Amino acid sequence: MKTLDCRVDYSLAQYRLSIELRVEPGVTVLLGPNGAGKSSLLRLLAGLNRPDEGHIRLGEQLLFDARQRINLPPEQRRIGMVFQSLALFPHLNVEQNIAFGLRMQKTPSNLRNSRVKELIQRLGISLLAQRQVATLSGGERQKVALARTLVTDPQLLLLDEPTAALDPAARGAIRRWLHEILGTLKIPTLLVTHDAEEVAWFRKRVAVIEQGKIVQSGSYHQLLREPQSDFVARFAGINLINGQVSLEESKPIFLSQGGTLLQGRFNCILPGPATLAVAPWEVALFTEPPGGSPQNVVAGRVIERIVLGDRVRVTLLGKEKLVAEISHRAWEQMKKFDLGIELYAVFKAREARIMNT
Amino acid sequence: MRPFTLFLVITSFLLGLLILLPISALLLATNPLELFAIATNPEVLQALWITLASSFLALPAIFLLGLPSAYLISRCRSRLRHGLETLLELPMVMPPIVAGLALLLAFGRQGLAGGLLAELGLRIPFTLLAVVIAILFVVTPYFVRRCALLFDTIDRSLEEAALLLGASEFQTFIHLSLPLVRRGLTAEAIMALAQGIGLFGTIILFAGNLPGRTQTLSLAIYSAFEADPQEAFALGSLLLLISLLLLTIVKFIAPKEQRI
Repeated sequence: MKTLDCRVDYSLAQYRLSIELRVEPGVTVLLGPNGAGKSSLLRLLAGLNRPDEGHIRLGEQLLFDARQRINLPPEQRRIGMVFQSLALFPHLNVEQNIAFGLRMQKTPSNLRNSRVKELIQRLGISLLAQRQVATLSGGERQKVALARTLVTDPQLLLLDEPTAALDPAARGAIRRWLHEILGTLKIPTLLVTHDAEEVAWFRKRVAVIEQGKIVQSGSYHQLLREPQSDFVARFAGINLINGQVSLEESKPIFLSQGGTLLQGRFNCILPGPATLAVAPWEVALFTEPPGGSPQNVVAGRVIERIVLGDRVRVTLLGKEKLVAEISHRAWEQMKKFDLGIELYAVFKAREARIMNT
Repeated sequence: MRPFTLFLVITSFLLGLLILLPISALLLATNPLELFAIATNPEVLQALWITLASSFLALPAIFLLGLPSAYLISRCRSRLRHGLETLLELPMVMPPIVAGLALLLAFGRQGLAGGLLAELGLRIPFTLLAVVIAILFVVTPYFVRRCALLFDTIDRSLEEAALLLGASEFQTFIHLSLPLVRRGLTAEAIMALAQGIGLFGTIILFAGNLPGRTQTLSLAIYSAFEADPQEAFALGSLLLLISLLLLTIVKFIAPKEQRI
């Protein structure tokens, strides 16, 4: 089992990319906004650009080391990369595209054919084999691009925004397919995305990159429960309510800017400006204010309602703005309410985190 | 029609006239019988043979020297690219006859490299090789310029993808970059042939006008014009038809977006 271990420094036009990252075998999602340096990092790992400083190690092998002046060219790194543009070769058909790497490595043709066939079957794209690349749909291209890379038996897999260019219908299908295929691989895989939904889909290890730095890395659940920065919270689609922490009888209390007293787990006890974070799926919706156990209740009018498959995302606006994500069934039970109606958003104190800003 | 559009149409029409009038005049000056007679004349056949042979012999050399340079230029950063392009423009702005003089001074018996070549037993001026070198000197820069633009159209990520699939840079060039622009390259090859076939000033100075050895069709026209203009017109029509044929082939082969 090889692990990618890298520390790279690289000057970009706007800022410095300065990354330390370990990628264990299995999928790690690299999440970051556009322009955060995600693709630049992939290019450095792949050897398409040269870092100013640092090292890149894959298992025992040193791919790059600035001090030892080691810099393996891309073709010797055994890194598979699926470009955002996919970069399928337009003058070759699907099968020839997939066989390209083996042909260049001078694999004997009988071995080459059997490996291409075997992989095409495993990935379920046998029907595409003789097609011209230009006639493929976005999802099909994605599959072919991954097949073309996997056939060369890479030791590290880099996927640059694999679903960004797809229409929403194809995106779901490709995600399921990717999830299944990537799950069978035993190599470190770095999947780059700017889409928080993708992170939620894969529910794997996550590294978050912002302005050329890794700001957080850990499990998916860690990311949701303990966002280390505003940015991560916003990225994960988490509600952020700004307010003030003050001490009352030496106990901290949180008062939102809208004037609502809210309870949560305090990550800081310093009085001053603070933010309360709560995930949309921890927020329940009611038509009547619920009684009973102490909970946070925020009233608001529905200003947005989006159906995402079997989930419904509802935005309430009252004294606070709050997003709730409920199941489709719950929405049906509430008679599929529409925009404009008054609802009560409820979340437990232990699901809310209050942090300094 | 609005005035400016009218202006554009009229100027374009005049330009069309300027191009088509002399061409028609030349084609009308000879009748097909005359053309056939002259095309089967042994001396003319010899000139035609030398014309085609020299152009086709120059072609592999143009590709061998030109393609790598074009690829290098296409991959260069702006500054270095600018320098290399200027170097290519030197022979392009040189009057052909001056190019002939320069070649004579370089490869002639008294030339810069002449002594060395003489020791090797090579005498270049006034041979078919001189015709080939003249074509190479004049045509290659144009070829390189156009091919560099052709290579510019290749999406870099395709080549990077090839490298990451384990192809060496050379393999990437041979198995990916060249096939990607193959139609454009074929068109460029034909353009190079056409340019070589029409070359005059450089050849007459560097290779001379020796019937049966270095006299190409263009040179034969020049000689014929002094003796018998009617024969020159017929030869001119013949050469024009060859060029038109090549142009037609280019139009069929070249993908529209790659025409420069």
